[in-house]
Amino acid sequence: MSTQPHILVVDDEPQILRALRAILTEKNFTVTTASRGEEALTLAAANPPDVIILDLGLPDIDGYEVCAQLRAWTQAPIIVLSVRDSERDKVRALDKGADDYLTKPFGIEELLARVRVALKHSVRLHGSKEVVISAGKLVIDLARHVVTRDGLDVKLTATEFKLLAYMASNAGRVLTHQTILSNVWGPAEVDQVEYLRVYMRQLRKKLEDNPREPKHLITEPAVGYRFIIDPGF
Amino acid sequence: MNLRERYRILYWRYLARVAARSVLAVLLVAVMATPMILLEGSLTYSTVALLFLVPVGMAAILLGLAPGIIGAITAFLALNYFFTQPRFTLTVARTQDLLALAVFLVVAVSISQLVGRTQASLDEARSRERDVIHLYELMSTLAGHRNQDAVARTATSRIHDVFRPTALEVVIQPDSRAKPQVFRAPEGFKIVDQPPDEVIALMTPRGLLGELHLWHSRIQTPAEERLLNTFASQIALALERVILAQAETRAKVLEESDQLKSALLSSVSHELRTPLATIKAAATSLRSGNVSWNSAARVELIVAIDEESDHLNRLVGNLLDMSRIESGAMKPQRQWNILADILEGTISRMRHAIEHHRIEVDISDDLPLTPVDHMQIDQVFTNLISNALKYAPPGTTVRFSARVQEPDLLLVEEYNEGPQIPEEHLDRIFDKFYRVTAADRVSGTGLGLSICKGIIEAHGGRIWAVNKPNGLSFFFTLPLTLDGRHVPLLPAETETAE
Repeated sequence: MSTQPHILVVDDEPQILRALRAILTEKNFTVTTASRGEEALTLAAANPPDVIILDLGLPDIDGYEVCAQLRAWTQAPIIVLSVRDSERDKVRALDKGADDYLTKPFGIEELLARVRVALKHSVRLHGSKEVVISAGKLVIDLARHVVTRDGLDVKLTATEFKLLAYMASNAGRVLTHQTILSNVWGPAEVDQVEYLRVYMRQLRKKLEDNPREPKHLITEPAVGYRFIIDPGF
Repeated sequence: MNLRERYRILYWRYLARVAARSVLAVLLVAVMATPMILLEGSLTYSTVALLFLVPVGMAAILLGLAPGIIGAITAFLALNYFFTQPRFTLTVARTQDLLALAVFLVVAVSISQLVGRTQASLDEARSRERDVIHLYELMSTLAGHRNQDAVARTATSRIHDVFRPTALEVVIQPDSRAKPQVFRAPEGFKIVDQPPDEVIALMTPRGLLGELHLWHSRIQTPAEERLLNTFASQIALALERVILAQAETRAKVLEESDQLKSALLSSVSHELRTPLATIKAAATSLRSGNVSWNSAARVELIVAIDEESDHLNRLVGNLLDMSRIESGAMKPQRQWNILADILEGTISRMRHAIEHHRIEVDISDDLPLTPVDHMQIDQVFTNLISNALKYAPPGTTVRFSARVQEPDLLLVEEYNEGPQIPEEHLDRIFDKFYRVTAADRVSGTGLGLSICKGIIEAHGGRIWAVNKPNGLSFFFTLPLTLDGRHVPLLPAETETAE
């Protein structure tokens, strides 16, 4: 296995494949491309990628199905790259196991940033489970239930801490409202988006330098939220 | 019950009725004969004969043609038996009496026939008149209707009033793929298990439009049958007229939307080509190798490609939104949201475009949660901001504020220092393709504000613009209730020193 991270790009448009292959190779990634779902599944099984960039509109198998089948055996981050921009499509892809969602047309910087976040996340997953998460000025100690900002203790309510701990343990992934609500509040509360809104706002006020332009607790409009460890990417 | 069976029953009923009436006619003659038999001595034979004509005429008038004739024959026999010599026999002794009896029979039968026929035709005329009145009423009511439901409802109630069936259904199904609509009378009638006694097709040259289903309590006469069929054909015609009128309206709407589409196409192709031209020019000059790798021109060309492709993407997005709004597919997925969160997200996303302006957000933290579709309201903010950036001079401020106006209504204001709009144009700026400025001076599809309007109205709110000193304000309202529910309250929680 080479030291270069391996990226599998699945898209039925040759132009996109050509552009992404050129750009990602330039950025020192090993790139494999597939233009069909079956091909993608075979390639992924033969040579497991570190990150998968997946289009939803494939000629043979539905992209959601590819996502679900990959997720059945690999934990490699899946970044969906699609022209479908409705929140229903996004939530569906995320529910099928995708980690992130980017709509076309996209800026290459944005895609590279997402790839880097995904790689970091996947390294974290494969490494030992961290008990202390550092994110910029924040240090979150999951075992001791302590959060510090610039070395100073931040007082959080029990729910605020639970929410932050869940978000930080899944850093980099786009978490849907339903996923967060079900994991933090319990499966009975999956429709209480209002809880999430209010607590997220409180958390931002306590943790972010500028709550109006959050760097760690990012809103994914109408879909959910995402915790970014290192906004410097 | 088939037709032949029905007519046989009707025939026997008719015979029974005639027989009963004939018995009545005989009784009538008997009643008249009794006093005459008692007063026999004081009456002349001719008087008696004349007096016998009275019950014969009455029978013909009251009971009909056949009973009248039976009455005439009875009177003839009674005259012969009781009053003609030799009395109490049916034999006649004198030729003169025989002649008188014969004349009496002819006169009596003629009278009863005449009177009976007149009566019958009078009855028929009356029943025809009734039919015509019913039909007239039906047609004049149907003529006023503009939709199928109204036609069907009128048909149901008129048939019920006129024919008094146990129950009836009017089933309307102009299109075999459509779900049939069923109208029933009387009110609250439960569909009976047995199939209808009578089914009449609502048929026109265009085809089958529906059916009448009737459950009868008694057998319909041929006259009633005829009237019912006439009703059915009038109802079918009324339905057809309504359907044709609706088709015409649809055709008109389609034609208008076609015209709109061509207007859209011409506006859009111009708008789409502008950024494309820039991109193409920049890309070809970069490719030609005429621009040196390190020159400032190269950076400028690349920035132009980037910006213009964003612009192109926004245009396509706007067009899609507009077509969603117009097809009614823009159903907001409303969820409880913090309005300031959405606006801050929009501003942060647009920060490059906003460089030359200042944006102020004056929204209190105490503002209640607002039930909106995040993406759509984000779109409204995006369009309002890009509109402000287009018209307000650089260096000026765009200010957003929001407050609760009524208990369940939020009022949002966007103020910018752009040019004022003549009062008469204030409403029209939300129309599609409407621009106060000439199209070639400011870029855009002329769709931004009409998309805002579509979204806000789909949320149950309203949007309008007001001229302000040194600027212009856009206001919109948003309801603070979701499916009748008010802003949810959250369980309170205290911070624990953990």
